[in-house]
Amino acid sequence: MVELKNVDVHYVDGVKGGVDALNDVNIRVNDGEFVFIVGDSGAGKSTLLKLLTREIQPTSGRVFVNGYNLSKLRNRKLPYFRRSLGMIFQDFRLIPTLTVYENVAFVLRVIDKSKKYIRQRVPYVLDLVKLNDKAKAYPGQLSGGEQQRVAIARAFACDPKIIIADEPTGNIDPRLSYEIVELLQDINECGTTVIMVTHNHDLVKYFGGRIINLKEGSIAFDGFIEGE
Amino acid sequence: MRMSNFNYLVKRGVGSVFRNGMMSIASFFVLLVSLLLIGLSVLVAMDIGVIMSNIEEKNEISVYVYGDVDQTTLNHITDALNENPNRLNVVFYSKEQAWEDKKNEMSEYKELFDYLTENPMPHTFRVTVKDISLISETAEEFSTIEGVEKVVAPYDFASALVNIRSTLTIIAGAILIVMIATSIIIIYNAIRSSVFSRSKEINIMKVVGATNSFVKIPFFIEGMFIGVAAGAASWAITKVTYEALVQLFRDDITIWRIFGLADMIQFDTVTWYVLAANCVLGALLGAIGTIISTGKYVRV
Ligand SMILES: Nc1ncnc2c1ncn2[C@@H]1O[C@H](COP(=O)(O)OP(=O)(O)O)[C@@H](O)[C@H]1O
Ligand SMILES: [Mg+2]
Repeated sequence: MVELKNVDVHYVDGVKGGVDALNDVNIRVNDGEFVFIVGDSGAGKSTLLKLLTREIQPTSGRVFVNGYNLSKLRNRKLPYFRRSLGMIFQDFRLIPTLTVYENVAFVLRVIDKSKKYIRQRVPYVLDLVKLNDKAKAYPGQLSGGEQQRVAIARAFACDPKIIIADEPTGNIDPRLSYEIVELLQDINECGTTVIMVTHNHDLVKYFGGRIINLKEGSIAFDGFIEGE
Repeated sequence: MRMSNFNYLVKRGVGSVFRNGMMSIASFFVLLVSLLLIGLSVLVAMDIGVIMSNIEEKNEISVYVYGDVDQTTLNHITDALNENPNRLNVVFYSKEQAWEDKKNEMSEYKELFDYLTENPMPHTFRVTVKDISLISETAEEFSTIEGVEKVVAPYDFASALVNIRSTLTIIAGAILIVMIATSIIIIYNAIRSSVFSRSKEINIMKVVGATNSFVKIPFFIEGMFIGVAAGAASWAITKVTYEALVQLFRDDITIWRIFGLADMIQFDTVTWYVLAANCVLGALLGAIGTIISTGKYVRV
């Protein structure tokens, strides 16, 4: 579960006296939901996601994620909190020197899974994103869409409670974007909460569901729309 | 942490040594030279120490006793000398013995001695000291003992030895400090550049929830691997160099005569200590360099 209560984020910026990236934001996302966050560039979407991963702390207000009170979370516990999240980025963030298989296995090693578990989990998640035949390839040999599917497999491999995706379709062929969202919906159907930021309005209209629209740091709309 | 995942980190750390080829080679050689100089200066300093103490042991304080002292006073002097904490050996040299020796020494003038009815030689104690730098204080103390007429000690020679020794200590210390600092700086740089070249990977590790130690282990392996490799290589070169040095001394008869070589350290007797010390010091320097460059959290 995700809960933001009266959250303000103010970036201190020497030149202009700072930026109010978020103003009095209140959001609650229950377990198992699929949420699109939309808004113009600079509206505060990435800032919102950074709060959820505790890359930043709010200037005021409180943030709860998966039962952790993020303002009270100690640095020492941060890695264990992060393991309950799966992150997907616009730029994929795969390790170019590792194969597809190794990229996925890598995060399982990071969270100290056994050899046996890794050996069965990696093929399972690669199968889910239909990339088993590319397991030995390097990220550079794949298309953007394929790379993002590897990133999704990697995020899902750790069996997170929430998957957070920041513009996951931003760098790939619009035609293939639908495929990516469908994949995330499949994962959502297995019970994982998905929070996806996008500024592709066609995509949102097509799929529908819960939409949160940010405008200049405030919530302009939070509700459900019908898909096409 | 599971063994299999630890092994993976070790592999990545070692792999990193080879990926950062030029940096690793540069640090390897700097460490190699440092450890070599440190090792050789320690060995040579130990040799000089042995030679010096040989020389020191031959330096004695002569304690002359008044001609008319009785046995009680002699005993008293013997006790007082033996109680001094700086004495190594106390040898009594009686006036009779001295007289005999004198006569033998001057046998051509044998007749001269016939005219002397009384033995003019005093009783003497010859005292060797533990710490030659304290020789004047010790001599001073001896001169205050009741019944002692005069104390003679090789003050100049002693202070020359002390000077040589402290100069050598300073030189060895300076080599040690400079080399250790240089090694740490070069390792620091190598690991720093390795951290930067893997910043993407570190970022991903942090995003998915790697602990700080998990992120750091490969860098420690990398730094310590370079250190141990340099240590092992330095050991081999130290062996060759040191043995050549010993041979050089052995072949030079003049040096041989002055210092004597019986006590010079044979490399074979210390070879394992040198190897262990080199590898441990190398690993330690690697670890310290890594600690400084990765900090509390690995920042990229
Ligand atoms: N690290 C930062 N320092 C200062 N200002 C920032 C920083 N990050 C974002 N901002 C500002 O905060 C606002 C919101 O940014 P962001 O959350 O990245 O928007 P979005 O992801 O919706 O495009 C923008 O005006 C941006 O310039
Ligand atoms: Mg953004």
